[in-house]
Amino acid sequence: MLNRIFGLETEYGLLVHQDRPEHSPTWFAHKLRDHIFNVQRRGVLDLHHRGHDEPPGNGGFLANAGRIYLDMGHVEYASPECNSLTDVVASDRAGDRMLQQAINDLGWADQVSLIKNNIDHETDATFGSHENFLVTRRFPFSRRGLAPLVTFLITRQIFTGSGRVGSANPQDAWVQMDRLIVPRAALGHGGGGAQVPFQISQRADHIMNDFFEWVQQNRAIVNTRDEPLADPEQYRRIHLLLGDSNMAEYATALKLGTTGLVLQLIEEGHAPRGLDIREPVETLQEISQDQERQWVVRLESGETISAIDLQERFLAAAQAHCAGQDEETDWVLAQWEAVLQDLRGDYAGLVGRVDWASKLWLLESYREAERVQWDDPMLKSLDLEYHNLNRDKSLYDGLVEEGRVPRLTTDKAIDLAADHAPKNTRAFGRGELVKHLLACGSPSELIEPKTDERLFPAYVINWSIFQVRGRMPFPMTDPFKTYVQEIRSHLAG
Amino acid sequence: MKYSTMPERREGPGDPMPKPGPTEEGGGPRRPETGSPEKDNLLKRMKKVDPKQAERYRQRTGE
Repeated sequence: MLNRIFGLETEYGLLVHQDRPEHSPTWFAHKLRDHIFNVQRRGVLDLHHRGHDEPPGNGGFLANAGRIYLDMGHVEYASPECNSLTDVVASDRAGDRMLQQAINDLGWADQVSLIKNNIDHETDATFGSHENFLVTRRFPFSRRGLAPLVTFLITRQIFTGSGRVGSANPQDAWVQMDRLIVPRAALGHGGGGAQVPFQISQRADHIMNDFFEWVQQNRAIVNTRDEPLADPEQYRRIHLLLGDSNMAEYATALKLGTTGLVLQLIEEGHAPRGLDIREPVETLQEISQDQERQWVVRLESGETISAIDLQERFLAAAQAHCAGQDEETDWVLAQWEAVLQDLRGDYAGLVGRVDWASKLWLLESYREAERVQWDDPMLKSLDLEYHNLNRDKSLYDGLVEEGRVPRLTTDKAIDLAADHAPKNTRAFGRGELVKHLLACGSPSELIEPKTDERLFPAYVINWSIFQVRGRMPFPMTDPFKTYVQEIRSHLAG
Repeated sequence: MKYSTMPERREGPGDPMPKPGPTEEGGGPRRPETGSPEKDNLLKRMKKVDPKQAERYRQRTGE
């Protein structure tokens, strides 16, 4: 779609179903990784230091050219580079499936659950769902150039949010106000007040800045780290960390598709202007926590406008400039319009397509049946269960089983995406490399150096380059190229 | 620029994104009637959830 490369990185939570577990979630995460690489042989573990927190063996590339690794104690899956929404949805679900299959193989299905969410209600910990979009180096990556993107991102949560019970502890939260970082509790309104029963976004409470380059603290609406993982003279990677992990395939596709179109509008100079939001971070949180779902936004111009109206401005620009360019674009435009129209009505009409709506509908059904209040702790447990990767337990999959969720991929396509890389990006070549290395021998045979080759590991693989021991480095700086014939020749030579 | 397609990933030729069927037009599921089988199934699934699991879910901040 859109001559664009997409990728998703997902950190999973790990729930141990025991009162006094013998092992920590991190212990289980290590065992899961080892099982995936050493027993299931889905990929090859890194043999080199990728960074200070990524020692050899911490993770590795998969046969589908994505990665599984441990990050801050979490299992994380990065999809391969995808050139279509179809592929990125299938590749994202493939990560879910690989991890759940590992749990099943280990006989842990009753003991451990992987939760594809972004928050811990009790500790206020947060963990990410990061989106990657490749743009040209000509993209106007300045505060002014990015202003339309900020407005779009703040308001897209009305159809991309996964929803949550309650809010992060406001006493611990800091927020950007007028270019200053201040305690949210000091504001005396918005997120600084009492706990809200339910809000539409998981991550909004944890975003502190409009622009910043770090990811672990001071998370920003737009992450400004310049790490293209490609030729830096041709490309820039837009790395977003404000979004929620989506269970609905439809929401994943719409999130990436609409954002891709807005990036295209900015690149081509067609993005709507004059829609800068006054106090972007505070507005992000106010929209998420608005119990009336009016989602009113104040612009720098002083005008007030609803988030739906703002989204319709972006939709109109995309319809005018992008319609007809390919099938996926037209799908995105049609569904974007339909969702915005439906958001003006009863939220129950969005169940199955918009995660927060599905979750709220389930929670309201439970509250009605069991006559419980919003402060009942069971609701937080139900919130988690919506995101369980175990299909026998997941509340999202309960909706799927009832035929109430539109699918955008198939189980067969997901299985293919677990074993094979997309064939129209750099991932194809990397997938061939990983399969070649897997065919070379067992993990121990791969790792054990020959006596005269102890100074260099058997292989080093990164997103944009690899080297196999005894051969020259092989750069892959263009994510749109498959490099597959060159890599086959390189490995055979 | 033109790039190769991935026919083996696509179930239907020329239609990579299945369009919503007539029953899904303009929205998600119908709101189930109280006491309908589908709502009963979902409520059964919800009632099986461990009420303490949110307490047991102790995660570190990631990224």
